[in-house]
Amino acid sequence: MKLKKVICGLFLLFTTSIAQAHLLNMTNLHLDTTNPDAVTLRVKIDLGQSLLSPQDYWRTVNMGSREQWVNIEPAVNKLLDGLGIFVNGVAVAANLETWSLVATSLEAIENPLSPQMAELTFNLNNLGLESSTALANASIELRIAEWLEVPWPALLRIDSASRQLPVSRLLTSSDRSSRSVPLSADSAIAGSSFAAKLAMEFQGWIPGLSWVAIGFQHIIPWGLDHIVFVLGLFFLSTRLSTLFYQVSCFTVAHSLSLGLATLGMVSVPASIVEPLIAASIIFIAVDNLCSPVLSRWRFVVVTLFGLLHGLGFASALSELLLPAENFYTALLMFNLGVEAGQIAVLALAFAAVGWLRSWTAYTERVARPATVTIAGVGTYWLLKRVIF
Amino acid sequence: MGLIKHSEKLRISAGIATVASLLLAFDVAFSAMAPAHLAFPLDERAPGEFPDAWIHGSKSAMDNDDPAVQVHAYNEHTYILRENKAINYEGAFMYLFFGNEVAMLIDQGSTSSPALFPLREVVDEIIDGWEERNGQEDIELIVANSHLHGDHYAAWNQFVDRPNTVMVGLTHEEVMAFWGIDNYPQQIVNFNLGGRELVVTGTPGHQGSELAIYDGWTDLLYTGDMFYRGRLYLEDWDAWVASIRKLRSIADQNPVVHLVNNHIEMTAKSGVDYPVGTTWQPSEPPMQMTLEMLDQAVEASFEIEEPGIYTYDDFLIYNQVPWSYTTDP
Repeated sequence: MKLKKVICGLFLLFTTSIAQAHLLNMTNLHLDTTNPDAVTLRVKIDLGQSLLSPQDYWRTVNMGSREQWVNIEPAVNKLLDGLGIFVNGVAVAANLETWSLVATSLEAIENPLSPQMAELTFNLNNLGLESSTALANASIELRIAEWLEVPWPALLRIDSASRQLPVSRLLTSSDRSSRSVPLSADSAIAGSSFAAKLAMEFQGWIPGLSWVAIGFQHIIPWGLDHIVFVLGLFFLSTRLSTLFYQVSCFTVAHSLSLGLATLGMVSVPASIVEPLIAASIIFIAVDNLCSPVLSRWRFVVVTLFGLLHGLGFASALSELLLPAENFYTALLMFNLGVEAGQIAVLALAFAAVGWLRSWTAYTERVARPATVTIAGVGTYWLLKRVIF
Repeated sequence: MGLIKHSEKLRISAGIATVASLLLAFDVAFSAMAPAHLAFPLDERAPGEFPDAWIHGSKSAMDNDDPAVQVHAYNEHTYILRENKAINYEGAFMYLFFGNEVAMLIDQGSTSSPALFPLREVVDEIIDGWEERNGQEDIELIVANSHLHGDHYAAWNQFVDRPNTVMVGLTHEEVMAFWGIDNYPQQIVNFNLGGRELVVTGTPGHQGSELAIYDGWTDLLYTGDMFYRGRLYLEDWDAWVASIRKLRSIADQNPVVHLVNNHIEMTAKSGVDYPVGTTWQPSEPPMQMTLEMLDQAVEASFEIEEPGIYTYDDFLIYNQVPWSYTTDP
């Protein structure tokens, strides 16, 4: 080891800017909205390379606080004029609260490779918003005017009480706007489309609505095997009462096993449940073809298969985290969503072929081919789930 | 099937078998058409090559006609990019790792302007070519960073409106949340990049959000700005000491072949660096470093006790040195 130069630790106590080369003298903007009544914007900027001359900056660094203010006021006003902060599209005012001017030497200020950063903290009060809810629902944009040159790029960090993580944006000389940044993750989703906004509104009125939607999705479109099973029940006979009794047994059973499995009282691996669900589809379809009337043991079988399908839903649900504070509500809502999905499948089946049920050739031309197809699909799934 | 005739039974069975066979045939055909799954085994080292010399700027930056971004394929799924030193003296290296259905760009250079430094265009071209060669399409791009210094994310904005792209973010919290690190810097996490196993850990010292990445497929250990052939600017000596020793420990536990990083600032002459800010570095030494060099850095971590500038054969240690002392006259 060859020691080129050792600088004593004592000297370092008087210097604040430690070498961390490869950091350009870029500008840092930190907008902190975590306190709704005292929102701040902290700007770290190489003042001596931008809004002040190196000589002015060096002179100002070595002044007392009051003289410093007199010297930096024009630069601060220029910065405020060029730095637009917009809340929900409306410009908000900022006032300089504190500042810290640092430099080790005039030579260092003059050299852009050794940035001597000043820190200015602006107070934006409550951003003109009267409640923390209004703040949480607000969107914010920071824009640097075309005529204002700061050492580029400018990294913007936004902290918000409604977001777990900060948001970062990079502003450059050709891309001077952060664009609208929602202060909460929810409003980020809501901002995406009218439909999403509407969904969020509903979510506000009925907190468990999203779990209903998730349950529905586990039938349409993700629950193809459950859809095919329900269609198997649909094609058994032309009598609506037959369908009603079967669907009731199926629903009660899968609600029960879904509940027990989600509560951890029953556990069957997916490697067993999934092939059995495929087998249940084949069984129901073949049974339709053999005995077109509703027998008593059919109720027993449909109920058992309902328990099986409930375990399938539980397996899918286990990939999601039910909220601990609303566990039972979420579970109930999820189940309601599954039922709604099931009803939607039956409604679509009626719309497609239900009007043909009084046709004498319905069984031969519609129900039987459909049932054979259902059995074929079940066989394909069974082979795939067992062999592949 | 007691209630139906034998011929009917046969018809039904044939129907069921036909439907099932057709679906299976579609399935097999679809699987055959699907892109081959790329394997990144850890038990054998994927070979790769570095260029004999990197493009290293020119005497007159204005007259430089080299590409803005040098693209080097270390191997078919690993690209190393370098920003032209004539555009920015940092001449920063960037890395593009591919896995199944996903690519990760680590660092985005020191220049924001797409006109001067069209990084997005270059990366898109590399991805298009890779997709074509590997039968994949619309793969996801993850835009990540070795650490949070402006010379490594200046062109970040070029990717914000790119479809199918994950922007990791430019704050410490966003970065750690992405990698799943909740105990920085101690925690070592495994990150699966489309079947390619990366080992990621915190290595502060140069900057407080820096990460090192070990790629088990190529056995490359990526050390960013905390260890490279150049001036190691350390803002936190104790953190760097822990980091460099952790790198040694990773190298002890894994068959590391090269240490790769972000800059070249040393000349080929032992202990001599290029002037700070130069846009021309003739006769550069290789970018990749050896385990012997790492050993020397570990040794330095035991020797150095005071802030200052310390010269070693392949790197200089700027231990907590004020800015004004870092630039050559």
